[in-house]
Amino acid sequence: MELAYTPEQQAFRAEVRDWMAANVPARPLVTLEREEGYHQHVAWERRLAEGNWGMVTWPEAYGGRGLDLIQWLIFEEEYYRAQAPLRVNQNGIFLLGPTIMEYGTDEQKARFLTPMAKGEVIWAQAWSEPNAGSDMAAIKTRAVRDGDHYVISGQKTWSSRASFADWGFGLFRTDPESKRHKGLSFILFDLNTPGITRRPIRQFHGDPGFAELFFDEVRVPVENRIAAEGEGWNVAMATAGFERGLMLRSPARFQAAAARLVALFREHRDRASPAAREQVLAAWMGAQAYAYNTYAVASKIMAGGHIGAEASLNKIFWSELDRAMHRTAMQLLGATAELRQFAGDRANDWLEGYIFSLAGPIYAGSNEIQRNIIAERLLGLPR
Amino acid sequence: MDFRITEDRAALVDSVRDYLAGVHGVERLRALDADGSARSDELRRGLTEMGLRGLLVPEAQGGLGLSLVDAALIAIELGRAAVAEPLVDDAFVAVPLLIAAGGQEALLGAIATGDARVALQNPVNGWVADLDGATHLIAERDGRLLLDAAPARGEALDSVDPLRRLQAPVAAKGDDVGASDALLDHAALFAAAQGVGLAEAMLAQATDYAKIRTQFGQPIGSFQAVKHHLASAAVAIEFARPLLLRAALALEQGLASAPVHVSHAKLAAADLAWSVGEAAIQVHGAMGYTYEVDLHFWMKRAWALAGAWGDRAFHLARIDAAVIGGSLPIGPAHSFA
Ligand SMILES: Cc1cc2nc3c(=O)[nH]c(=O)nc-3n(C[C@H](O)[C@H](O)[C@H](O)COP(=O)(O)OP(=O)(O)OC[C@H]3O[C@@H](n4cnc5c(N)ncnc54)[C@H](O)[C@@H]3O)c2cc1C
Repeated sequence: MELAYTPEQQAFRAEVRDWMAANVPARPLVTLEREEGYHQHVAWERRLAEGNWGMVTWPEAYGGRGLDLIQWLIFEEEYYRAQAPLRVNQNGIFLLGPTIMEYGTDEQKARFLTPMAKGEVIWAQAWSEPNAGSDMAAIKTRAVRDGDHYVISGQKTWSSRASFADWGFGLFRTDPESKRHKGLSFILFDLNTPGITRRPIRQFHGDPGFAELFFDEVRVPVENRIAAEGEGWNVAMATAGFERGLMLRSPARFQAAAARLVALFREHRDRASPAAREQVLAAWMGAQAYAYNTYAVASKIMAGGHIGAEASLNKIFWSELDRAMHRTAMQLLGATAELRQFAGDRANDWLEGYIFSLAGPIYAGSNEIQRNIIAERLLGLPR
Repeated sequence: MDFRITEDRAALVDSVRDYLAGVHGVERLRALDADGSARSDELRRGLTEMGLRGLLVPEAQGGLGLSLVDAALIAIELGRAAVAEPLVDDAFVAVPLLIAAGGQEALLGAIATGDARVALQNPVNGWVADLDGATHLIAERDGRLLLDAAPARGEALDSVDPLRRLQAPVAAKGDDVGASDALLDHAALFAAAQGVGLAEAMLAQATDYAKIRTQFGQPIGSFQAVKHHLASAAVAIEFARPLLLRAALALEQGLASAPVHVSHAKLAAADLAWSVGEAAIQVHGAMGYTYEVDLHFWMKRAWALAGAWGDRAFHLARIDAAVIGGSLPIGPAHSFA
C-alpha cells in the first residue's frame, strides 16, 4: 500500500488544473435538459476534445491519452474542483465506450470511439420499455433480420438525452421465439433513421430530460450490432456494471458537493441546528469514504482484478449519499430552499441538485434491486 | 379524557374531502398549472358556500364559530387535495388573530362571505403568499401586528411549487392589531396540518401504484422492499396526526406550552411529508420522476411548507429550549399537564 501520488501524477494534476483554469466557462451553462443548454454542453465536449481530454483512459488511437484509472481519478478531481460542466456524453464515454472496447470489433472501435471522444456524436441509452423497467428481461421491442439489416419495431422509454442526442444503443429481441434473457441483441442506431419518433417527456422539474422512442420498421445495418446475435444480455450486463461501478459517478463529484455544503453550513451556522451540523459532517465523511473506496477499487482493477456484483454496493452508496447531502442543503436553506432563483447558479443550485438526486436511487437499476443483488450474490442469501 | 374525533366533526371533514376529490381532482390541478391560473373561481366559491371561509368566524358575524381543531382537520384535507387556494392563510390563521384583536367584526363578516381576503406576511422572512386579490395584509413590525387595508405589491418570487404565488417583502404598515407571537404559531400549525394531508395523499398514490404496476410477473407491491417503504410511511403518519391535534387544542385553549406543541407538530409533519415523498417517488420508479405523474405537485408543496413559518432549525430550537432548557415540565405525568 502506498497512499501518495508520484511526481508524474502530481505533474499531471497540475496540467489538468491549468487547462481547466483557462478553459472552464466562467458563466454556468444552461441545464443540459433543455435544447439550448444541450448545445452549450456539446460545445463544451468539443472544447474538451480539443485539449485531448475527451476520455483520458482510452488509447491514443481513439482520441484518448492511454492513461490509467488513478490518472482518471485525478482528472476527475480537477474537473469537479474547477466546477466544469456536466458531461452530456456520459452515456457514450462512460458506458458504451468501455462496452465497445471490450466487445466491439476493431472496425466498430475505429468507427464509434473516436467521434465519441471528440464529442461529435452524443449518445442516448435505450433499455427500458413501458413494461420492462426493473425487469429488463421482459424487453419486447423486436429487431427482425432482413438480409444485412435489422428491422426494429416497438417502443423504448426514459431514454436520457434522447430528445436531442445523435445516436442510441440498446437491447432488442432478435429472436422472436425467445424468452427472457435469451435472444436479445445489443444494437446501435442513428436516432435520425426514418421510422424513429422521439417524444420528449417532461421530468419532475419541468424540462424534457428523457424521451420515449417509437420504432416503426426502422432499418438498421447488421454491422451496428455489438457481439454475437442473441448475446446482448451479457453485453448489457457489462454496460450496466460500468454504470453502477466505477465510472458514472466519480468521487470528485460528491467531494465537491460536500465542500460546497460545508461552505453553506458556515454561512448559516448561526441558526443551523445541531442535527444539520452532524448531517453536514456525515456528508463530508461519506464523500471521503466513497473516494477511498473508489481508489481501492481502481487499484484492484489496475492489478487485473474485476468488479462484479460489488458494483451494486457502489451504486447504493453514492446515490443515497447524494440524496442525503442535497436534502441537508435544502434544510439548511430553510425557507429559501423552495426558490428557483438559484437556478443557473451552478454552485448554489441545491434545489435542482436535490431533484436530480431523487432519481439516483431509481436509475441504473433501482436500489431495491441492488439490495436484492447484494443479498443474493454477495451474501448468498436464498432467492 | 377522550382523544377521539367526534362524529359531527368527522362528518364535516368527510364532506370537505368528498367535495375536494370531486371539484379539485388531479385533472383540475393539472389544468390550473398548465394554464398558469393556479387559482380557481369555482373552487373559491365552493369553499365559501361550504362555510369554510367562516369556519372560525363567530356566529354573530355570520360564521360557523368552530375551533382550531376543526380547522386543522380541514387543513389536512386541503393538503390531501394539494389545494393552493389561500383559504388557510386568512380564514384559519388571520381570523383568530382578528378575533383576539377585537373590534374587527365587519372584516370578520366580510371574510366569511368572501368579500374580504387577508394575506399574511411571514415574520421570519417577510414573504407574502397570494397577495394578488387580497384586500388586506397582516404584517409584523417590532413584535406587533399591523393590519393594512391597502397593501403594496412586492416582487414575485419563483417557487418550485408551480401553484404557489409568493412575493418578496413589502413594508409593514397599518393599524396595530395586537402582539405578533400568535401569528407564527397559528400559521405553523396549519402548515403542519397540510403536511399530514400531503403525506397521506402521497402514501395513497404510491400504494395504489404498487398494486397495479407489475414487474417480474407480479405487482411491485408484492416485493418486501416496496411494502416496507409504504409501511414505514404509514407508521410515521400514525404518529404525526395526534401531535397535530394536541397542538391545535393547546393553541385553542391558549396554553403557555402551545408553542412547543406547535413546533413538535410542525417538525414532525414537515419531516413526514418530506420522507413520504421520497418513498413515494422511489416506489413509482421513473414514472414518479415525470411531470405527467402528479406526485411532484405534492412533493413540491411539502418542501415549500417545510421551510415556511419557521423551518426545521427554528422549531427544533424551540423544542430544545423547552426540553433541554427546562421550561417545559417533562416525564410520565406530563402528557397533558
Ligand atoms: C432520471 C432517469 C433517467 C433514466 N435514464 C434512462 C436511460 O437513459 N435509458 C433507459 O433505458 N432507462 C433510463 N431510466 C429508467 C430506469 O432504468 C428505470 O427507471 C429503472 O430501471 C426502474 O424501472 P421502472 O422505472 O420501470 O420502475 P419499476 O421497475 O416499475 O419499479 C418500481 C418500484 O418497484 C421496485 N421493484 C421492482 N422490482 C422489484 C423487486 N424484484 N424487488 C424489490 N423491489 C422491486 C423498484 O425498486 C421501484 O422502487 C431512467 C430513469 C430515471 C429516473
